[in-house]
Amino acid sequence: MNLEDELRAALRCKEPPPDFAARVMARVAAAPARPAGRAWVRWTAALAASVVLAAGALEYRHYEGERAKEQVLLAVRIAATKLNKAHRKIQMLNHRSNS
Amino acid sequence: MKMTELLIVFGLLAGLASGQQVRWNSEKLAAKASDSVDVTLDGPMLRLATKFLSSEDGDERQVKKLVAGLKGIYVKSFEFKNTGEYTAADVESFRAQVRGPGWDRIVGVHSTEEGENVEVYIKSDDGEGKKISGLAIIAAEPKELTLVNIVGPIDLDTLSDLGGHFGIPEIEADKKK
Repeated sequence: MNLEDELRAALRCKEPPPDFAARVMARVAAAPARPAGRAWVRWTAALAASVVLAAGALEYRHYEGERAKEQVLLAVRIAATKLNKAHRKIQMLNHRSNS
Repeated sequence: MKMTELLIVFGLLAGLASGQQVRWNSEKLAAKASDSVDVTLDGPMLRLATKFLSSEDGDERQVKKLVAGLKGIYVKSFEFKNTGEYTAADVESFRAQVRGPGWDRIVGVHSTEEGENVEVYIKSDDGEGKKISGLAIIAAEPKELTLVNIVGPIDLDTLSDLGGHFGIPEIEADKKK
């Protein structure tokens, strides 16, 4: 038997035994119900996940704020330096023309 | 008119309506620079930064007061390894952006000796320079080019006063006034 025939034989459709559905339903009925006491575990896990997410968001906001503050200080420092440089040059020129 | 064209026109109109932000296209220079600083702080980020600036620390208190009413701060500073890495045409293209209506050049310093140029422009709403609604600084040095644009009512005296802080020497003569 070649590979193709083997595959065809293995994948051939088969009818389930007549009591298949009944056996499945019996197993489902016999399966133990999920204990109700576990609900609080799920709620606690969800709450913990929310707290972690909120803390992360808060931390990120704090990081963004600190970064924005540093950028403002840097920008003002650069602007003030350049403005004063121009100021100083004007004063130097005034001083030269007066003396 | 196609949708993209409409969007471009709308964007341009929105830019004009938003006021004084200068659109400096400096990607070419950024690629050539050995070091660069690019600060872009618009309204929401400025408001957030203001919340983080201390009201107790002297310098930060002054900066907080200065930026409280601003709509945006944009700074681009490029340092180059060699002279001549940016051209006069580059500077002229930046200058052209502050030649629009409402802008006035209040300071223009040119030093041949040191090869430095500093130009300060203000935008005023009343056209008389009493109510400043924007500031632009173009500072060109042989190996450094800095562009500053502050949008909103800026107090030049306070900004100048900050020159005495952050390790920048204060101009004593001016303080005697």
